[in-house]
Amino acid sequence: MKFKKIFYSQKAAPYVFVLPFLLSFIFFWIYPLFSTVTMSFQDITATGKEFIGFKNYTKLLNDKVFHTAMLNSFEYMILSIALLIPFPMLYAVLMDGNLVKAKGLWKALLYLPALTSVVISGTLFRLMFSEYSTGQMNVIMHALGFGSQKWLKVKATGLGALLTLCCWRWTGVNMLYFLSGLKSIDKNLYEAAEIDGASAVQKFRYITIPLLKPTTIYVFTISIYAGLAMFLESFMLWAGNASPNNIGLTIVGYLYRRGIEKNQMGYASAVGLVLLILALIINMVQLVLNGSFKKEER
Amino acid sequence: MEKDASIKGGMTRKRKIASFFATLLFLILGLIVVFPVFAGLLASFRPGTELIRKGLSINLDVSTMTLANYKYLFSGNVDSVKYFTWFKNSMVLTLVTVVLTLIICYFIAYGLTMYQFKLRNFLFFLVIATMMVPFEILMLPLYQEMINLKLIDSAAGVILPAVCGASTIFFFRQYLTTVPKDLLDAGRIDGCTEYGIAVRIMLPITKPAFAAMAILCAMGSWNNMLWPMLVFRSAKKFTLPIGLNTLLTPYGNNYDVLIAGSMFGIIPIFIIFLCFQQYFIDGMTAGAVKG
Amino acid sequence: MKKKVIGLMVCMALVVSLLPGCSKDNTKDTSSDAAKEETSGGESGTDESAEVQPEAVTTVGDPKGTHMEIWSFVELHNTYYGKMVEKWNEKNPDRTIEATFTTYPYGDMHNKLIMSLQTGEGAPDICDVEVGQFPNVVAGVDTWLYPLDDAAQPYMDTMVPARMETYMGSDGHYYGAPFHVGATVMYYNMAALEEAGITQADVDAVVTWDDYTALGERYIAAVNQEGKYFTSVDTGGTDWLWLAMAEYGEDWTGGFDGKANIELDSVKNMLNMQVGWLQSGVAEVSPDGHVDLEAGFQNILDHNIVSFPKAMWYMSRFINYMPEEKGNWYIAPCPVFEAGQPDSVGIGGTGTVVTQQAADKELAADFLCYAKMSMEGEQMNWEMLGFDVCNTAMWTDESIIHDDANQYNSFFRNYPYDVLNKIKDNIGKISVVKISPTINEEICNVTLNAILEDGTAVDDALKSSQEVIDLEQ
Repeated sequence: MKFKKIFYSQKAAPYVFVLPFLLSFIFFWIYPLFSTVTMSFQDITATGKEFIGFKNYTKLLNDKVFHTAMLNSFEYMILSIALLIPFPMLYAVLMDGNLVKAKGLWKALLYLPALTSVVISGTLFRLMFSEYSTGQMNVIMHALGFGSQKWLKVKATGLGALLTLCCWRWTGVNMLYFLSGLKSIDKNLYEAAEIDGASAVQKFRYITIPLLKPTTIYVFTISIYAGLAMFLESFMLWAGNASPNNIGLTIVGYLYRRGIEKNQMGYASAVGLVLLILALIINMVQLVLNGSFKKEER
Repeated sequence: MEKDASIKGGMTRKRKIASFFATLLFLILGLIVVFPVFAGLLASFRPGTELIRKGLSINLDVSTMTLANYKYLFSGNVDSVKYFTWFKNSMVLTLVTVVLTLIICYFIAYGLTMYQFKLRNFLFFLVIATMMVPFEILMLPLYQEMINLKLIDSAAGVILPAVCGASTIFFFRQYLTTVPKDLLDAGRIDGCTEYGIAVRIMLPITKPAFAAMAILCAMGSWNNMLWPMLVFRSAKKFTLPIGLNTLLTPYGNNYDVLIAGSMFGIIPIFIIFLCFQQYFIDGMTAGAVKG
Repeated sequence: MKKKVIGLMVCMALVVSLLPGCSKDNTKDTSSDAAKEETSGGESGTDESAEVQPEAVTTVGDPKGTHMEIWSFVELHNTYYGKMVEKWNEKNPDRTIEATFTTYPYGDMHNKLIMSLQTGEGAPDICDVEVGQFPNVVAGVDTWLYPLDDAAQPYMDTMVPARMETYMGSDGHYYGAPFHVGATVMYYNMAALEEAGITQADVDAVVTWDDYTALGERYIAAVNQEGKYFTSVDTGGTDWLWLAMAEYGEDWTGGFDGKANIELDSVKNMLNMQVGWLQSGVAEVSPDGHVDLEAGFQNILDHNIVSFPKAMWYMSRFINYMPEEKGNWYIAPCPVFEAGQPDSVGIGGTGTVVTQQAADKELAADFLCYAKMSMEGEQMNWEMLGFDVCNTAMWTDESIIHDDANQYNSFFRNYPYDVLNKIKDNIGKISVVKISPTINEEICNVTLNAILEDGTAVDDALKSSQEVIDLEQ
């Protein structure tokens, strides 16, 4: 009876509500996070585990394949941000004005790719970028008077294919982010600016960009994570975790290769932690530079 | 389009031209976006082996198109049964995930919003903290944990770690902060328990948030691949994305099912999208605006 | 609104569960009905897929017998085991078996197997293990696997010893039953060569790689058409390099005890020769990396290449994926660098293991060795899978190897086993050890692409890759 009374009291209620989160937090966040830290200092084999200090980390320093993976992930992150912030923002601004007809249709269409699973979209893109002369991209090349390309065998075109896939999937989503950011901007500001004789470019430069900043920071933050942690897109585009010259290998791809494919949990954990630290540092720097710690962000 | 223009007769010529080009831009974007799916759709009416061997390209030759792949997909033979087992698994998994996630996250968010208690801000900080660590990093230790907990190869192993989604909690919290707290006291005066208030009074008001999150969550679950791929081991438990991926073996003879099945697999989520478009957009963009 | 969404989804789930509902029973039998349905459904695919479409094998055998779980990554292997289960049950009514077969994708199956061996539960009774993955599985020797020594004893006299040794554990026991020798031979498209004025006698006269190169140049000059090559070199496979190593008697893994070293003369000679071919237009780089992929089949079907070295098991690829090529191809021994060198190497393979988790380990081992080593098994193996079987007792059985009704014998211009008997004593072996997957991964992902696609100097590329491999040993 006493338990029941406590259970129904106003004091206990919030804890009851929050309990699932606490459990989930302990079991599926704190515990794995700690165990990955522990594992990163161990050599884990079929027979047992052994503490080896920083050996996994020193090995990472000399691991050329890991360096390739890091470079790939960084390149991908930077280029995907360069493509997936300005263009969607521009589209959103156009969409927000009254120039474009049939807005609903375009919104729905641009959103469509986000609905398809990576398995399907990745496979479609892989087949379009086939090196055989009958693949779509080579058909286009032929029509333009060029020869066939081995798209997925060369670093530049391989990264291009990956970025195409990424833009195809996320342009619409990012556009919607910006669009909803724009909706919250007071339209009177534009009118006032117009009265003052501001041009469209000026309005964009001095009103839209500053007021859209919270949205931009949000998109920026998630793009950094998504870029650094990208894996499945490359996994599907190269039909597996192996790509020529490792051009499609990402940090998470390497973590998967070591941890799952080669069953080296210790070494893979070290890879994961390096990724985590990098992601945190980059985002901290980004957030500090953007001055978003003044107001409580996210 | 002409009708549209005549209504807005006030448009200057210059504006009309600008409008034309702006619309054209979106038309082109739209075509680019639709292109791969359209090419895939066309290809699904041709033998899958040809597609795998020669690559995908738009081929409008209607004479070589047949319904054979789809007939095969629905023929009820082994491959067909396999495919629809995956389809069903995906459906069930999505349904269970959505229901559980929404209910649990709603209550968590409710607790964090409606009450003033000691640990509130700290707990909310923890919610945010979980968002700062990409799932891919926790994937390996979680995988080991699932093996230890004997949850490997079970739906519970797939669902449980994801059930307290930080972004879902966050969204509900954002929504609940706009709900007047007076209702809470009114409920208490009426003799409702704390839990009764949460379920009978507050939950109905939060419906739009539920709708938005349901759709977002359903989409994520339907397309989720990485984690289920690690957890599920037996072929009869596979979800659609994993199952389709298994058809991509070098010596597969199921490319017909792969391509027809891929196209067919887009349909459910697409239907939901068409019906509830606005909620998709709300759910998707919630974090960005109110942050 | 939430109700609406959920309602909609429930509806769809119901619809979907009804769709295949009528045919659910098919999953649990191998009735000929299922097979027929499959074949008629096959018309949706290309003709050949109708032929290879295996029966709906999931559970086979005597329901009262010992139950076994059998995994493979090749559906046809499971079909084969299914047939052997039936034969076994006929011969051993007191030790019958009921087997459930599951076919997984290659990577998944090996991952799952290793995980289940480690955790000590969930492993199948019998499992196919691809040779490249074997070191990972045999690492657990007799704590994970059941030795096959006793069960294999009746057949050991005539088994090819090198193949049994491939699947030996560090404790000296045999843990895997082999499918085939995987002897590498040269496939020539005689029909296309004849069009270019090259006769079978010209092909037979090829002894060294220089002869081969000269023949290739003659062919290219005669055809003189863009996109047509004599052969294709691989960026995604090591077959050419294995052949070169076997010819010189080298081994980059260094065997069980030595250190891996890929900077071998044999490897360099082969790669330099290939670079020369690419420059002179004798060869192209295989589309998608090697000839044993769908794009490779297409390339062969289009007669873009007319010769390539590949193991004997590639014959089944012709039957299954390139049936149009019937009557065109001729099989010959591979060229060598210097006359007198061995001219073949065993490549690929599947060692099938019995796990310690098997319900009846002895029965599983006896059945496995019966299925993969007995004359009945080997004959079924050759007829169904088209392998160069490891039990040499079959190699000399005229009624089998010269049987014109056999689909492989009738597909090629000569009898495959005649070639096999010719190279019988020249089939070299490259070890598959712990470091092998690392070597393979580095060579196929990086080294070959650097040399053949990007034009990196052979010595530099090998040196750089050696450093990567050294990090792991």
